[in-house]
Amino acid sequence: MLPYILRRVWQMIPTLLGVILLIFFLFKYFGGDPAEVMAGLKASPERIASLRAQLGLDRPVWEQLWLFVQQIFSFNWGKSWTTNEPIAQIFATRLPATLTIMVPILLLEVLLAIVAGLAVAYVRGSLSDRAIMVISTVALSVSFLVYIIVGQYLFGFVLGWFPVQGWSASFWKNLITYAPLPVALAVLVSLAPQTRLYRSFFLDEIGQDYVRTARAKGVTENAILLKHVLRNAMIPILTNVATGLPGVFIGSFLIEVFFSIPGLGREILAAVNRSDYPVIQAATVYLAALTMLINLITDVLYKLVDPRVRLT
Amino acid sequence: MHPLISVQDLRVSFRMGQRSVEAVRGVSFDIPTNSTLALVGESGSGKTVSAMSIVRLLPDNALTGAASKILYNGQDLLRAAPESLRALRGKDISVVFQDPMSSLNPVFTVGEQIAEVLAIHLGLRAHPAWERALELLDEVGIDKPRERLRAYAHELSGGQQQRVMIAMAIACEPKLLIADEPTTALDVTVQRQIMELLARLQQRSKMGMLFISHDLALVGEIASQVVVLREGTVREAGPVAGIFHAPQDAYTRALLACRPPLDARPRRLPVIGDTIPPKEIAAPRRVSAAIGAVPLVEARGLRKDYPLRAGLFRRSMLQAVKGVDFEMHKGRTLGVVGESGSGKTTLAMLLTRLTDPSAGSIRFDGRDLTLLDAAQMRAYRSRIQIIFQNPYASLNPRFTVGQILNEPMAIHRIGSDADDRARRSIALLDKVGLGSDAFGKYPHEFSGGQRQRIAIARCLTMRPEIIVCDESVSALDVSVQATVLNLLLDLQEEFGLSYLFISHDLAVVKYMADEILVMHQGEVVERGNPGAIYANPQHAYTRQLLDAIPRGLSASA
Amino acid sequence: MTRTNLQALPRSAGVWEQAWSRLRQDRVGMASLAVTLCFIVLVLLAQLGLVASGWQMEVGTPFAPPHFIGKITDGSQSAVVAGIDGPNVDISDVDPLAPRYAEWSERAARFKTIVSAKSDTLPFGGDQLGRDVLSKVVKGAQVSITVGLAAALMATLIGTVLGAVAGYFGGRVGDLLEWIYNVFTAIPYILLVFALAAVLKSGPLAKTLGGGVWSLVIILGLVGWTGIYRLVRAEYMKHRSREYVRAAEAIGATHAARMFSHILPNVSHVVLVQLSLHVVGFIKAEVILSFLGLGVPIDMVSWGTMLSEAQNELVLGKWWQIVAATAFMATFVTAFSLLTDALRDALDPKLR
Repeated sequence: MLPYILRRVWQMIPTLLGVILLIFFLFKYFGGDPAEVMAGLKASPERIASLRAQLGLDRPVWEQLWLFVQQIFSFNWGKSWTTNEPIAQIFATRLPATLTIMVPILLLEVLLAIVAGLAVAYVRGSLSDRAIMVISTVALSVSFLVYIIVGQYLFGFVLGWFPVQGWSASFWKNLITYAPLPVALAVLVSLAPQTRLYRSFFLDEIGQDYVRTARAKGVTENAILLKHVLRNAMIPILTNVATGLPGVFIGSFLIEVFFSIPGLGREILAAVNRSDYPVIQAATVYLAALTMLINLITDVLYKLVDPRVRLT
Repeated sequence: MHPLISVQDLRVSFRMGQRSVEAVRGVSFDIPTNSTLALVGESGSGKTVSAMSIVRLLPDNALTGAASKILYNGQDLLRAAPESLRALRGKDISVVFQDPMSSLNPVFTVGEQIAEVLAIHLGLRAHPAWERALELLDEVGIDKPRERLRAYAHELSGGQQQRVMIAMAIACEPKLLIADEPTTALDVTVQRQIMELLARLQQRSKMGMLFISHDLALVGEIASQVVVLREGTVREAGPVAGIFHAPQDAYTRALLACRPPLDARPRRLPVIGDTIPPKEIAAPRRVSAAIGAVPLVEARGLRKDYPLRAGLFRRSMLQAVKGVDFEMHKGRTLGVVGESGSGKTTLAMLLTRLTDPSAGSIRFDGRDLTLLDAAQMRAYRSRIQIIFQNPYASLNPRFTVGQILNEPMAIHRIGSDADDRARRSIALLDKVGLGSDAFGKYPHEFSGGQRQRIAIARCLTMRPEIIVCDESVSALDVSVQATVLNLLLDLQEEFGLSYLFISHDLAVVKYMADEILVMHQGEVVERGNPGAIYANPQHAYTRQLLDAIPRGLSASA
Repeated sequence: MTRTNLQALPRSAGVWEQAWSRLRQDRVGMASLAVTLCFIVLVLLAQLGLVASGWQMEVGTPFAPPHFIGKITDGSQSAVVAGIDGPNVDISDVDPLAPRYAEWSERAARFKTIVSAKSDTLPFGGDQLGRDVLSKVVKGAQVSITVGLAAALMATLIGTVLGAVAGYFGGRVGDLLEWIYNVFTAIPYILLVFALAAVLKSGPLAKTLGGGVWSLVIILGLVGWTGIYRLVRAEYMKHRSREYVRAAEAIGATHAARMFSHILPNVSHVVLVQLSLHVVGFIKAEVILSFLGLGVPIDMVSWGTMLSEAQNELVLGKWWQIVAATAFMATFVTAFSLLTDALRDALDPKLR
């Protein structure tokens, strides 16, 4: 196990370097001049020049790159260009709000989709197939935006069941009062396509030879579905969850914008709008590293789920 | 005596979209207790569908006929309630399937899967179930059973997996065991072991066995009754001695006749024409071309290693071919026989330079082929050609037959223009017996045997001198196999072709080859004249291979 | 044998012909095809300026309701401003300009002024500025669909070429491409989009690309190729070791011939389905990006900008813009998705 992990970490390094290079050069050559952005619209040329010296922009490229790399590995990003808040603090304070929303969404999505997918796979008639396909196609054709706008309007404004927006400092209050509406909307939107996906996993397994063997042994249909098929379908389900995990950390910026939740997604979106490069760069690099870490953990977890996996 | 199972007028059809396809058209037979009934037929005969109907393990789109009945213990299984049928499966009637690797659940251990059937029907759990599973593994001949209980399917060999399947099937002491081509996916030596195991188990427990196979010789050794099926109907049924010694039906006779015989070497094999009875073949002995003074191909010291990754930095090597020498002569066939992992396919890849050797040389027409680069090799490619095993994969599904035949001629600039090439293609199609109508069709419109003939025509477009036949007939039904083998022999006579004929089937190789190499784990363990090898095998492995060949009834009589 | 004999030989239908005949029998598929074609025609007409070119004109009263609702007479929206009565004091004797008034009114009367009457109702209603929602939604369709199609084509092209090379050759080239793929996929999709959007918004390229949808197409295309790459690479790796490709090698076909004449036709149906799926995905992404202000420029309209306006209108009870945008988008996306499903079934009936 340990040699495998070590080898994977070794392999991650070129990728991480690639991300760093990409972000650095993207912003350096395609982005605007940071000094101009920071100085503002009405700055004098001298102010801009002094800012450039401050930021080290008059040094050679490879020195700037080295500085960039150093910043990354020392977790010292300096401050946001506009709000002057230390970037590390930005991440630390915004992340809890994001997680409070995203983790329940992920859990509910997966659990509900498993249940619904099993139910549909059990019934398995062509009529239910067609119905599911059509419903999910139509449901998916409406933009997520519309669901949020209408949902917010209907459940918050008109019916008053939930607050339209808001956030508090207490975790439990957030979870019980402010989170339910956004969580419910997000889960609702993703339910149809997730169910369809999980249903295809289950149907793939049902068609396998070992299910025929189980039937030949006299196993009941229920046991086949819940024991044999579900257990094998955990493998693609795990893949599916793993692909969605990095998204949990960046959060759904749409939800955060609409519901005024002070999370990471909204923060990054705001940074884009005001050209606050350090925030965007930092978020990108760290989330990329986090994604690679999650991939590694998932690959190791595969061993628990699929005995055929050989970690070599 | 009252039969165990009575199948009466079974009709099964499959609904495919708008149409329905009849797979079984009025099949009737009785399975006796305490003996083995064999269902024999080629692909499409309906043998598997008939057997699966007994336990109703058919796909969802299957329809059984209204008048069909399958009687067991006074009950019609086709009309039984699902719950009572489920109670029978695994307990009274169990099944062993063809491919054990995919038939075992990959995420549960062997012990868990055996224990499952014990829990459902006998109510055994935990420790007693585990102990019984251990006994069963021992009974089916698995070594180190206690360790194997905790193993997963992919950690076992093909033979061991099949033993596990058999253990699961006999766990509750069934009255009937259905074995659906249980050895087809296994190596020939392992096949022999599994057959002996099944025969032993059947005798010990006095259960009935329904054995399904395409190989008449194989069932001759194990069955007491035989039912021959073709295209969904019963052609002949009766005691095994009658079938083998005095077959009544023409199809049965043809099936028996078109296997290459081990003790004779007729000029051509009899085939099942579209109209039966088969033509009477004048059986003069086949004469091979004389050995020339200079060999056409001389290979020395061929070695092929594949790197395997193990551990953090170590790399071990898999030696597929370890130092092989051989010679080929014009107009003669060199046969290579061996099981999986013997390196015979790698040899084919090496000769055609589809893979490069790690060491060794191949001299052909005064040059060492291993030293040529890609451009130089291209000129030689037209002279050494290959026919692959899988007729369903070796033709590009998106090309018409005309395009398939045209391509090699265009590459090697044979033929003056497109028209000329088309004419040559059609001439070749006639020669392989397909006719000019095939020109505009796609591969999926042809059967396996026909596709192999297209592949042969493709080789012939380039007028090669050497053709490598890599298990070219192994995927074909026996009767089709004979057609293709006859075609190959005809072409060899006409064009003076030299073949490298590779197969795991010793009978076929013995029939086709003028000289044989026996390969085992990358090395040539024996070589020589086919007759000599058969009569007097020197090496232990060769003897093992020969013993494993199913001889039909004559062996057990 | 003469040439005429060759023509006389029977010719079987190829993959695409068979797929078309299967599609023809699928009623849902044909209906979706019809709807999709209608939209495409609409897009072309809008592109050529034949319809909805005047979407920016304020032809209606603010928040004009749709025809079928009729004029709202509660006085909440009235474009007619009541005339201001002047003071009833005559100051003409102290007003220095008084003598000129008559002359000026006379001159003014000679100029034709076009008084555009602002309608009280519009076919689909009007937005806050009184612009015709129907024109907006058609123009928006043009923008959103064009962006979706262009971006999907770009992503498919990049992904297919790179995937083919990586899958077929493997080795060093494959490793390099895998590295690029890993770098792109390590960064969460949205972040990469944001980063590119931030850069293209304020960087030097903003001037060359600005004022159009191309920056959006580039962003989506550069981020979206990875899915297709993965699929095409897997397909090429699978087919590379198939026997028909080995056979092609054995007869002496070159690498290029094997990659494009042999393998590509066997992979093209997968690529086509991926292309269609990406069109839908990119349209939805464009809508969201335009909503956030990161998409089309301010002077253009897309379904996304309509939705962003609609957000505020809803609380005022004005629902026609959001309904129109949603209805058009849902119709097109549903039709296109159903068409994609039908296409997939027609190309590979075994999947059913």
